[in-house]
Amino acid sequence: MDARLRRVNKEISDCKNDKTSNITIDLIGDSPFHLKGSFPGPSGTPYEGGHFEVDIAIPESYPFQPVKMKFITKVYHPNVSSASGAICLDILKDAWSPVLTLKSTLISLQSLLCSPEPNDPQDAEVAKHYTTSKKSFEDTARYWTQVYAGAGKGKGSAAGGAVGATEAPKNEVAIAGLEEVHVGKFEKLGFERGKVIDVLRRLNYRGSNVTNIHDDRIVQELLK
Amino acid sequence: MSLSPHTELSQDEVRKCQSMQVEEWEVLESIYPECCISREHDQGNIKLEIPVELGDELTVSIMDDGSLPALPSLPTSLKSGLPSEVIERPHQIQEHLTTLPPLLLHLILSPGYPIYAPPKIVSFQTNYNWLPLMNLLQEMLLDMWSPGEGTLYTWAEFIRSGDFLQPLGLKDNDQLRIPHPAPHLLRRVLKSYDENMKLSQFSQSSFTCSICFTVLKGSRCLQLACSHVFCRTCLEDFWGLCIKEGDVGRVGCPDPECVKEHSEASEEDVRKVVSEDQLKRWKWLRQKQTLERDPSIIHCPMEFCQTPVPKPAESDGDSGWARLRTCPSCSYSFCAFCKRTWHGPLTDCPISFAETFLIEYMELPVDSPKRVNIERRFGKTNLRRMVAKYEEEQMNKKWLEDSTMACPGCRVYVEKSLGCNHMTCSKCGQHFCYRCGAKLFAGDPYKHFSTPGLSCYSKLFDFQSADDNEWQPVEGFEFV
Repeated sequence: MDARLRRVNKEISDCKNDKTSNITIDLIGDSPFHLKGSFPGPSGTPYEGGHFEVDIAIPESYPFQPVKMKFITKVYHPNVSSASGAICLDILKDAWSPVLTLKSTLISLQSLLCSPEPNDPQDAEVAKHYTTSKKSFEDTARYWTQVYAGAGKGKGSAAGGAVGATEAPKNEVAIAGLEEVHVGKFEKLGFERGKVIDVLRRLNYRGSNVTNIHDDRIVQELLK
Repeated sequence: MSLSPHTELSQDEVRKCQSMQVEEWEVLESIYPECCISREHDQGNIKLEIPVELGDELTVSIMDDGSLPALPSLPTSLKSGLPSEVIERPHQIQEHLTTLPPLLLHLILSPGYPIYAPPKIVSFQTNYNWLPLMNLLQEMLLDMWSPGEGTLYTWAEFIRSGDFLQPLGLKDNDQLRIPHPAPHLLRRVLKSYDENMKLSQFSQSSFTCSICFTVLKGSRCLQLACSHVFCRTCLEDFWGLCIKEGDVGRVGCPDPECVKEHSEASEEDVRKVVSEDQLKRWKWLRQKQTLERDPSIIHCPMEFCQTPVPKPAESDGDSGWARLRTCPSCSYSFCAFCKRTWHGPLTDCPISFAETFLIEYMELPVDSPKRVNIERRFGKTNLRRMVAKYEEEQMNKKWLEDSTMACPGCRVYVEKSLGCNHMTCSKCGQHFCYRCGAKLFAGDPYKHFSTPGLSCYSKLFDFQSADDNEWQPVEGFEFV
């Protein structure tokens, strides 16, 4: 299957020569079939300023089977698993075409960040957050971009998006997309902070849900 | 057009004309090499074959010009042997064409051309006389000459571009009308000429295959029905893989738009690309796919056969006869429940007995008298074979239970390699949960994972197969 190698090499060099797209593809080790792609977060979105890295695995029968892609950088987005980075995008599955390239697929990921599809979510919790309160969702996504994708920092640390997590102390409440007042309220009742955050996140205690979900319900969950 | 009779031309004048003729021919030959057939220096004999290129596809109506007498009324016995188009003689046939066959022009350039005399048209015709009003066109051409100017290029362009059709009254708006004594015959000629031209143009042009990124001559490429062009090698690899993997739905145009529309390739295109064996398998898979949409299908249990056997149409749902199936291919008659040889409408399926018996046998200690007795009665080898088969079945069953989930719609077993737990069955389209096998509502399948209290709440991603674990990104995710 040297046709695969030829095509991947061409794709990598084409991407290197293209200075306009801001998309980079690099080798992770010696294999040309395990790569790392990266692109800047699209401007005008909560991901602006972030640097997003994607793990790329090229299957045996590429380009006739879709490339496997997964976010290395943690992303807060309805269509990306916040835990594993798995992406459920149609072109990575049944809508894949051999005409699509690594670059065009990375561009599709970039535009996925611009236009979340909460009706076809991959992370149900994040999607709920998005539909309940877009503003609160965007705050959280922006915070994640800062913490994990190196937005708003010097250029030097931008590349180490994931490593950035160890630098500054993270605000767990902001990462969960919650508000300190709400977490504090239940913490004061004697519940462990981590557990409060967990329950409030699961119940999507944001926006209008704050008034809709009764305190009893939360306490009930906390007692489980 | 009349010309005043020439006085004898001087040597100088002849030489001047001669050099203008040579120059004009060279120019014409470099612009329209395919039109310039021959030129004989001394007699000024020139032959041109100028095809007509209509640019965009045009609707051409070929009409009966009524010059042939109507067919005498023939006895029915004679008529039956003739093609219907001969008997019925359609008045008008429409065809879509982009090129028309060449106009054949034989000229003599007199020594005085182009300064003192026009070219002399020796003959002007078309094959099959497809173009009427040739005389009128000839006059038009002669009118185009003005003394002192070469007119061959203007003529060639006038004909090649199809500009002459309008003044001849054959074309108006985007419609071309050609009267002819035998429209059905002319249609065949025009169509095959047009197809050949398209084919030769295609095979001579260059294309960049957007799969392997190489530039290739059209002869090594294929244009699919949707007009997208790919190289044959890539199509062969792509379709070959899909056919091998049984993924017939993907045997279609690889263009992203066509993929989204799930457009499948025509048999004609598939035949052009894949081998005879692959084509056979493709057809078989397609037939299988259609049959499998029918939930009552059972595959013939004969290992060599495996033909899908549909439920007999007249079968009575309640009686024991409803279990009977007969394979249309190998004629094996079997029970639809236990898939063994037909055991009549009244007898229960024997499989449950065999299974309980085997379990009992295997549970007995190896040297126990009871076990030895059974072995004596049925034969040790027989029993060993049955046990091996039973164990294999159990292992298969266990593997299916542990590593796969059956689609609640069609019971096809699905193994997930990666992705979320929301599955859409590629066979029957049912949405279901990979964790618990529940059917999901197609309109909002994620509700199953996002409703607190449900067993799969927030478990859209919890299930990690071994494969998925291996493929964790190297860094990140220290915070969960």
